[in-house]
Amino acid sequence: MGCIRVGALFALIVAGALALTTAVPAPARADDSTIVFGAALAATGSNAREGALTKAGYDFWKDYVNAHGGMKVGGKTYKVDIKYYDDESNPQTAARLVERLVSEDHVNFILGPYGSANSATAAAAVERLKVPMVEGNGAAASIFSQGYKYTFAVLAPGFKYLQGILEMARTLKPAPKTVAISTANDTFSVEVGQGAADYATAHGMQVVYQNKYPADTTDVSAIVSAIKATNADIVLNGGHLDEALLLQRTFKEQDVNAKIFGYSVGPDTPDFRKTLGKDADWVFGGTQWSPTAKYQGAPGFIGDSKVYAAQFQKKYGYIPEYHNAESTAACLAFMYAIEKAGTLDPQKVRDALQNLDVVTFYGILKFDSRGINVYKPMAVNQIQHGQLMTVWPLGVQNAKPMYPTPAWSAR
Amino acid sequence: MLFWQDLVNGILVGGIFAVVALGFSLVWGIMNIINLAHGAFIMMGAYTAYVLFATWHVDPFLSIPIGFVLLYAFGYCIQRFVINYVVRAPLLTTFLLTFGLSLLIVNVALLIFHGDTKGITTSYSGANFSIGAVTVGWTKLWTLLVALAITAIMHVWLSSSRTGRAIRAMALDIDAAQLTGVRVSHLYAVVFGLGAGLAGAAGVLISLSYSLQPSMGDPFVITAFVCCVLGGLGTVQGALVGGLVYGVLESFGAQYIGTGLQDAVALVVLLLVLIVRPRGILGKVTA
Repeated sequence: MGCIRVGALFALIVAGALALTTAVPAPARADDSTIVFGAALAATGSNAREGALTKAGYDFWKDYVNAHGGMKVGGKTYKVDIKYYDDESNPQTAARLVERLVSEDHVNFILGPYGSANSATAAAAVERLKVPMVEGNGAAASIFSQGYKYTFAVLAPGFKYLQGILEMARTLKPAPKTVAISTANDTFSVEVGQGAADYATAHGMQVVYQNKYPADTTDVSAIVSAIKATNADIVLNGGHLDEALLLQRTFKEQDVNAKIFGYSVGPDTPDFRKTLGKDADWVFGGTQWSPTAKYQGAPGFIGDSKVYAAQFQKKYGYIPEYHNAESTAACLAFMYAIEKAGTLDPQKVRDALQNLDVVTFYGILKFDSRGINVYKPMAVNQIQHGQLMTVWPLGVQNAKPMYPTPAWSAR
Repeated sequence: MLFWQDLVNGILVGGIFAVVALGFSLVWGIMNIINLAHGAFIMMGAYTAYVLFATWHVDPFLSIPIGFVLLYAFGYCIQRFVINYVVRAPLLTTFLLTFGLSLLIVNVALLIFHGDTKGITTSYSGANFSIGAVTVGWTKLWTLLVALAITAIMHVWLSSSRTGRAIRAMALDIDAAQLTGVRVSHLYAVVFGLGAGLAGAAGVLISLSYSLQPSMGDPFVITAFVCCVLGGLGTVQGALVGGLVYGVLESFGAQYIGTGLQDAVALVVLLLVLIVRPRGILGKVTA
């Protein structure tokens, strides 16, 4: 009897799985008047939140272009469309779906997934398929050390994420001297931490603590007690939102008092401020973009960050953060490159991307031979009285850094 | 100094692990079901606390009984109307079923609450006191005390109440228990309900120190698994000892061997226990 039940259960599971795969709506095929982009984005799993931010950034661009008459390529006007699949936050699934987008759905170009791990597997896939991909959400430089020719990233690479905070710290009085760095044990975060450590050492600061922890850790108390023992002036973390929240809470609980608390991911997201309330004040974060950034973008799209932020908020009901902006920027790289190439030929568009040099609301879009946008600086945000302010670099800032961070007992 | 701080940290986090492991251990030890949906139940408990806190400012410590009762009812129904049909099937079947259940619950939570990270910050969160060089957070200390209280209540209930004794009888010999009039299908549902209820209570406690998102419970399934094996299966004391030992091991492992290896250290000890003392620290030899 048991066997029959197992058999029936398996049949049910298989039938369910089949129903799921076939229930996907019919693909938007590339026809004569539409350029179709494909993207495998997390709608479920651990990156679901960031996946949704990425999608909003892509969709904002798509709707803007279609509302303004579409794209002109070689004298012909095209509408644009984006076909999405859910990669379930899983890198292997992302690669498989990218293959499917290209070989079964015949999309013209690929927009990147969310996250360094998923971007890395997608990059390997587009390399095989010889279809260019522009991504805005995979910052690990290791993606670009494979000699790939078809992947381009609009964002500043991982090792720059925390350097802005250190750069800013050097201008502050009294000058901080010691740095403690904790990072999640994944490609991107380790790169972030190493970039900060290298910068600190090269500029006369002393790295008194540097350590990795497993990415989905549920306990950071050992790290916090070790950092407390070093009494570091600057405490930095390269990781993810969950750990940033956990660390910041534990720093308070263990009464760790540094002059600067800085995170690569966290302070930018509204969740960080909402969750921590007043305890989020004084915290610094590296950011790819902020709504106060002052760039004058090329014609063809909104050229001003403030206008972008206002229109985005009107459409989606929240102020865009850098995940949204860098995703829109990935679309812009394609737009300017395709218009310049004057054709939809993947090879020619790839070459146009390689030679792209354009300023947008998001900053400069220009790729080195590996496909990294090394030309773009990182900005620094600080949460001041519950508001996210941009405090560095000087030309972009809308507030002065508040420094030094007071002790927990004095807040 | 670091040594004492790490020891205290380990014990404090071990208290949470103990409650996480308790429900998992009961269900595994008594029903022979490795409940992969345990993490999803924890998540449900945490979100219960969050909703109560965000809507009516209910202090999470007061939400513990609410979380327990809600999840108990949910667990009872799940056992009675879903798992009961496969309870005598091979282990793999219940494995698949609870795994599917976990996916279902997490994705429903994703639909309702979205992937946003949420958190509960109370007026006293982060408050602490120091004894010498050791700093202790009040929230974590109270969490540990509540965890100990829950464990004690469970122990007393299982060893002295009529239902509790029937449950233990059922675990020893299901056929003999049935012959003496124990209603097995009802009791199974009670045990599974208890497991879920304890997960719910653990979830509420976790919501005080951790941030919430729908997949937050996943890492705790592995924690629960390790604690059960360390402490010994199916007993209240086993889960408590397993939780505390695991917490301290992780804390020391992270400090003296490497934070990147904190899981590895605990898992190596797990392997050693399996080789040297397969029934766990407090486990008894079964015939």
